[in-house]
Amino acid sequence: MPNDILYSIRNLTVEYQTRAGPVRAVDNVSLNIRRGEILGLVGESGCGKSTLGKAMMRLHTTPAKITSGELWFDGRDLMSLSDREMPNVRGAEIGMVFQDPMTSLNPVQRILDHLTETIHTHEPETSDATARVRVEELAERLGIQRERLNEYPHQMSGGMRQRVMISLALALHAKLVIADEPTTSLDVIVEAKFLDLLKELQKEFGLTILLITHNIGVVAEVSDRVAVMYAARMVEVGDASDIFAEPKHPYTQGLLKSVPNILLDGTELYKMEGSPPNLLHPPTGCRFHPRCPYVKDICKNEDPNLKPVVMDQLAACWLYQETAVNGR
Amino acid sequence: MTVNKEKLSKNPLEVVTWEVELERVGIVRRILYARRWYGADWWFVSISALAVALFIVVALFPKFFAPYDPETLVGPRFMAPGAHPDLPVLVVLKNSPVNNLKDLAVSEGTSRPGISVVQGVPTAGALNEQAQKIDNQIKNESRGLRLRPVIVRYPTLEEALQAVANGNNQAAVVQSTEWEEVSDQFPTLREGQSITGVNSTSGGFIFGTNDIGQDVLSRLLWGTRVALLIGFSASIVALVLGVPLGLFAGFIGGTFDRLFSLLMDSLYAFPGLILAIAITAVLGPSILNIIVAIAVLYIPTYYRIVRGQTLSVKEEVYIEAAKSIGARNMEILRLYIFPNVIPSVAIIFSVNVADAILTGAGLSFLGLGLPPTIADWGIDLARGQRFIQTAWWMITFPGLAIMVVVLAFSMMGEGLMEIFNPKLRER
Amino acid sequence: MAKPKTLNIEAIPDRNSTDGNMLVRLEQVRKYFPVQSGFLASLLNRGHIPAVKAVDGVSFFIRKSEVFGLAGESGSGKSTVGRLVLHLLEPTTGKVTFDNIDLESLSQEEMRRMRFRMQIVFQDPLASLNPRMTIGQAIEHPAKIHLTKLSPNARRRLVLEILNAVGMNPPDAFYDLFPHQISGGQRQRVVLARALVTHPDLIVADEPIAMADVSVRALLLDLMMKLKEEFDLTYLFITHDLATAKYVCNRIAIMYLGKLCEVGPLAEVYQHSAHPYTRALLEAVPVPDPRHRRTESMPAGEIPNAINPPSGCHFHPRCPIATEICGIEEPDLYEIYPGHYVACHFA
Repeated sequence: MPNDILYSIRNLTVEYQTRAGPVRAVDNVSLNIRRGEILGLVGESGCGKSTLGKAMMRLHTTPAKITSGELWFDGRDLMSLSDREMPNVRGAEIGMVFQDPMTSLNPVQRILDHLTETIHTHEPETSDATARVRVEELAERLGIQRERLNEYPHQMSGGMRQRVMISLALALHAKLVIADEPTTSLDVIVEAKFLDLLKELQKEFGLTILLITHNIGVVAEVSDRVAVMYAARMVEVGDASDIFAEPKHPYTQGLLKSVPNILLDGTELYKMEGSPPNLLHPPTGCRFHPRCPYVKDICKNEDPNLKPVVMDQLAACWLYQETAVNGR
Repeated sequence: MTVNKEKLSKNPLEVVTWEVELERVGIVRRILYARRWYGADWWFVSISALAVALFIVVALFPKFFAPYDPETLVGPRFMAPGAHPDLPVLVVLKNSPVNNLKDLAVSEGTSRPGISVVQGVPTAGALNEQAQKIDNQIKNESRGLRLRPVIVRYPTLEEALQAVANGNNQAAVVQSTEWEEVSDQFPTLREGQSITGVNSTSGGFIFGTNDIGQDVLSRLLWGTRVALLIGFSASIVALVLGVPLGLFAGFIGGTFDRLFSLLMDSLYAFPGLILAIAITAVLGPSILNIIVAIAVLYIPTYYRIVRGQTLSVKEEVYIEAAKSIGARNMEILRLYIFPNVIPSVAIIFSVNVADAILTGAGLSFLGLGLPPTIADWGIDLARGQRFIQTAWWMITFPGLAIMVVVLAFSMMGEGLMEIFNPKLRER
Repeated sequence: MAKPKTLNIEAIPDRNSTDGNMLVRLEQVRKYFPVQSGFLASLLNRGHIPAVKAVDGVSFFIRKSEVFGLAGESGSGKSTVGRLVLHLLEPTTGKVTFDNIDLESLSQEEMRRMRFRMQIVFQDPLASLNPRMTIGQAIEHPAKIHLTKLSPNARRRLVLEILNAVGMNPPDAFYDLFPHQISGGQRQRVVLARALVTHPDLIVADEPIAMADVSVRALLLDLMMKLKEEFDLTYLFITHDLATAKYVCNRIAIMYLGKLCEVGPLAEVYQHSAHPYTRALLEAVPVPDPRHRRTESMPAGEIPNAINPPSGCHFHPRCPIATEICGIEEPDLYEIYPGHYVACHFA
């Protein structure tokens, strides 16, 4: 594996059983996350991005199951790790920031204690004092005043708690941070400051971040590269500037046009017809075909794979590919 | 309620969700699917629901199921379960209209009927006794009939029966077990009823008889009536009183709420049986008073549950929405709060009935309930207590019945609570 | 630097009051929520019970047929204002006027009967629909209450008409469904339909598209504007998303910690924002264009507690241009341009 790819997802499928039958929340998805980049994973509700994020840490719970695919982190096969080895990777090497940190912080433990204890769990050889110093320095770097470390989670605001989560990842020298909707519950000014923080951390610590969100504006602000998911499939991947300037997949095109831009005047918002499909019985062929303005016959029968369209930009669309069978 | 999928899919804007598809599957298939989804809980509920249904059917039509009348002394006392009683029965010609002793009564002046008996067997004594009893009865009736049979003794059973076959006597009175042994030899004869008027061919006593000769099984089956009556009535009364109070207390709050909550908490604090005893002792023993006592016991349960639910439903956004469209308070209670509170009440009801049946049996066990001749499990328990060594079946079967019914209702209620997956909270 | 002006909004003659174009008017409305209540609390706090000052002296008006935006972050009080306008909450002090009627002066029954003229659309459509009522019943209920002259058949026809108007076709297919059986976007349409069935004058929309999927939001906004024309509606559009507000609002008000910072025509407020908070908000909005970079820095600190807000101008601890007077004296709303008001000493 080339040196600059930190995390490689290959043909991952996550399935879970519902009352009405099996549902594939993630369907044959492949994605490479490069070292030191911020990759924005975008999609609407139900597209599978959160399931993908959790599966990357093998945090998905039953009834969800990884039924096929590989997860390679820093040259290691995560699927081969036992249930006892996996927690060592989580936190210490891959940090996770959730939407509502109230649920991931221990409500009856002071922040400082929580952080130092976590450091101990992963690095038993580190002394108490060293751990404390590390936490305090990091907190300050992240804009959390030292005194506030003695507070309980409920005494802190949402933005502050998110910073605590990031500091936890940094304290353990995590290489990758998976942030699942980290700013969705935050006010817009706090969100802006948090996004600035993410960019600073990327520069200063060489942190790699997978940012999962449905907010197109957030993605545009921080991402180096963007990946778009639709109905459990990956439909487009590429550099942020390329994707926003010239989106290739019709879904991406529609999505970007339907988001209001505060800097533009008088533009009509694009109204996408239909709604995301029922994953119990997804449409045949390309899943977007019922809503696609450029639908062709082949789209209804065969599901396209992610293929390069232009340089580094990949799209799963028959507009840019020829089938293996015939050249139409 | 049907969903016309055709019509819905014509609209390109919206796609039917899988929940709607599921609704179309129909109630029977859903019950079967439920087994796969809910596993053990489904069995829990199904089996106990069947038991409850059976119980209700028996309670409604006990005559259909019970072999005997529960209050009549139909057999010898203390008969063990499954025993066939050995009764003295009439044996008559096949075409004879006579079935029992009473049929042998004739008007004054007519020749007296002859009855053959076997010499030396004590049957004669019982026959005499019974005949005299019936004679005294009919003597006072105005029809002018008398029963004064001539008892003819024979040295052997066969000769006694032969006399009837020949027409010398109207009937023979022999032990039923003996008749069964020789009945093939006398194809022209048939068995009638016993001299006490019971069909001895009608099975034995499956659960035996009690200390005064009543059939335990019949009392058991008839006892379901009382249990059902008490259980359901008390629960329904408690529900009818407790639910509205809880609704109002939760919705209006204030002094009303504080007053009633105080009252209900005090009632709730009492140990159940003691309170019921106290009330029945004051009001006097009768079915109605038992129902009242148990109902009072359970009103606080409904009150608390409904009040709690109302308090939480009150905070929901759709209640604010109801206010914003200008709905009156009573409308909000009726259409928005009540329907969302009801599911919990239904589940409580089931467990409640179980508890009420148990308490009712307890009260009549203590003698605070019904007159002892009415078939009731609690009373039977009390009666059987003294004979637990000698006639264990008197207390065992009523006890088992109580246990099974209470268990069935409880399991059903608990199972429903597990299974009841409000679609409201599902997304 | 100009001397800070202190002209009150009340002093300025309402240019529209004469032709009765003002539908809603708030005058110095305050809503305080006591943190504790009862005798013991007042004893412990020596008579002065701490309260959350959710709305602390807000005055503005909404013209008929306009889309009036009310924007702010959490704790700004915008949702509370929405409910005060509808009299779902009673103001602690101040006056709320609807179509020249003082809502406080109405009896409970009169207010209830007025409700057909003013409706609300909530943020979470699933939570705002009674799970035990079918869609038809939910939409019919307001008609049942207020349009008493209609026969049941006429009512049903009206409901079907409204379902059609909000794009739920064919309407009778949805009539008997329950809220959990339809999608999120459809549910929001149902909530709109319920608000429309009595043909109200005013609809308060509290974050109406926040919970909808990104691709559905444009559809819903479009629908709301179309309905505005069709039903001749006035909207109070409460939102935290200034990008969306730009697409639909005619005028907009920015709130911070219970007070109004800035009110005015949308283009004015966005292009010539006078309040430092407004500028910060506009700057913070994420732009779906990777080439865009923020130029101004964000205000330091976080939104303080609404129980003990900062003295003087509530924003002063975080404000880049604050001076001594900002911590002492609260600025009043002052008109810096026709129709454009700002509450800042240095606007």
